[in-house]
Parts: sequence; structure tokens; C-alpha cells
Amino acid sequence: MRAALDVLSAVLLLTGAAFCVLTAVGVLRFPDPVCRLHAAAKAQTLGVLLILGGTACQVSAHHIVSLALVAVFQLATVPVVGQVVGRTAYRTGAVHRESLVADELEARLAEDERGG
Amino acid sequence: MTPANAGPGQPRRPRRPAGRRLLALVWLWLLWIMLWGSLRATVVVGGLLVAVGVLTAFRMPPMRNRLTLRPLRLVRLTGHMLVDLAVSAVSVGWAAVRHGPRAPAAVIEVELAENSDLLIATTAYLTTMTPGTLVLEIDRERRLLYVHALPVPGQDAVDAQRRAVSAAERVAARAIRDSENRRTF
Repeated sequence: MRAALDVLSAVLLLTGAAFCVLTAVGVLRFPDPVCRLHAAAKAQTLGVLLILGGTACQVSAHHIVSLALVAVFQLATVPVVGQVVGRTAYRTGAVHRESLVADELEARLAEDERGG
Repeated sequence: MTPANAGPGQPRRPRRPAGRRLLALVWLWLLWIMLWGSLRATVVVGGLLVAVGVLTAFRMPPMRNRLTLRPLRLVRLTGHMLVDLAVSAVSVGWAAVRHGPRAPAAVIEVELAENSDLLIATTAYLTTMTPGTLVLEIDRERRLLYVHALPVPGQDAVDAQRRAVSAAERVAARAIRDSENRRTF
């Protein structure tokens, strides 16, 4: 039982760490803030969840509640932050618009500006 | 905009907001106790005081709509969300390694079928969690989502992402029924 839990927790911790590394690679290599947000919002969230899972295998039931709370708040806040930062990045021109395959928001914003 | 929003003269549910405030109170109280991780009298009493204080200081706008949650489908929604999160983490990680600075991205406009604050928020949430998409802008009036998608090699991928957002919306609408919604099921 103990050994099985140790193996499970090792697998979870290492996979989680791997996703955090992937996040770092994405943040470094992606060209603009919104692409980096993709990495931060997804790979990072999964990495943190896996690490929390791995930790939960090693601590007493008493602490698992707090770990679960961390997971809940992580899942609840990350998409909101992603949207707010993404919106700001787009509107302040931090996005490489010319490299986009398609951009349907640009036309809409221009139209709104003309309309007042 | 919709009849459910028409005004305060709604009969039949004068007690709803009070019930919801009680629910919020209990949740905040539980949260406090869980964060302290103990059941000492000071924690329990202090938690109640903090919960009341927070709810008085930060008044939430009243929600006049009637919600019907379907527990089983909510569980399925959560399951979908976790699977999507795992797939999207892998796909964005792969894009980072494979494409890096030349990752092809696009901003896509998606029209929403539902007309409820809660459903639009849930759809936006699921969209951010699903592979390759991140919500940039929510146009509540026109019911449009502007989604940043990555990686998008071509027009086919743009259409596929548009369909994925609509699918997320349907999953959300199946789990949550909102009287504010214009659509009837």
C-alpha cells in the first residue's frame, strides 16, 4: 500500500513538474503575450493540479482539504486572469496581428470605433 | 432584455435572494474553517463573523433568474473539463516545442446561441480550458465570443475551433438551465 502510494505520488509529481517545464518553454518561445497565456493557463494549471495530487498522497487527510481548496481556486481563477490579460494585451496592441492566420476582432473593433 | 429581467415586480420568488445569501454565508464560513483546519471555538465564531462582515461589505447584485442545475450532468461537465485541460496542456506544450515563435494563431468570432450571463460565463470558462482556445473578448450585447486559437494551421482549423466552442456551449446548456435564457428547451 505504502509503496503503491509512493509510486503514484512520484508519477504525479514528476508529470506535474514536466508540465511546468513545458509552460516555461512556451512562455519563452511563444511570440506574443496571448500565446504565452495559452501555456500559462493550461499547461501550468495541469502541472499544479498534478503536483497537488502527488502531494495529497503523502500528507495526512487533515491537509488534503487545504490542497483541494488550492486546486479549486486554481481552476476558478486561471481562466478569468487569462481573459482579462488577453483582452488587455489585444487592445493595447501587444499581439502580433500581422502574424495571425485570421483576425475577426480587428474588423469589429474598427467598426465600433466608426460607430462612436 | 428578456422577460425575466423586466423588473423587480416579479411575483412568486421574493425569498430567493435571502436563500442565496444564506448559502453564500455557509460557504464562506466553511471556507474559513477549512483554511484554518481546526474546529476551535475562536475559529468557528470568528469565521461566522468574517462571513457576515464580507457579505455586508460586498453586496452582490441580486440574481432574479431561476436556476436548475442537473447534478449528474454537472459531474459530466467537470469530467469533460478535466479531460480537456489535460489534452490542451499536452497540445499547447507540443506547440511550444514544435512551432515556438512561429506558432500560427488566429482570433475567431463565435456566435453564441444562449442568452444568459451564467451560460455565457460558463462557455467562456470551458473554452479557455479546451485545447487551443482562449477567450479574449466577450461581447455580451451581441452574444459574441472572440477566441484566440493556437495552433491554427489553416481555415479548416478555424472552423474546427468554432465548432468546439459551440460544443462547449451545448455541454454547459445541458447541465445548467437558466430562466433568464431566451431559448426554451
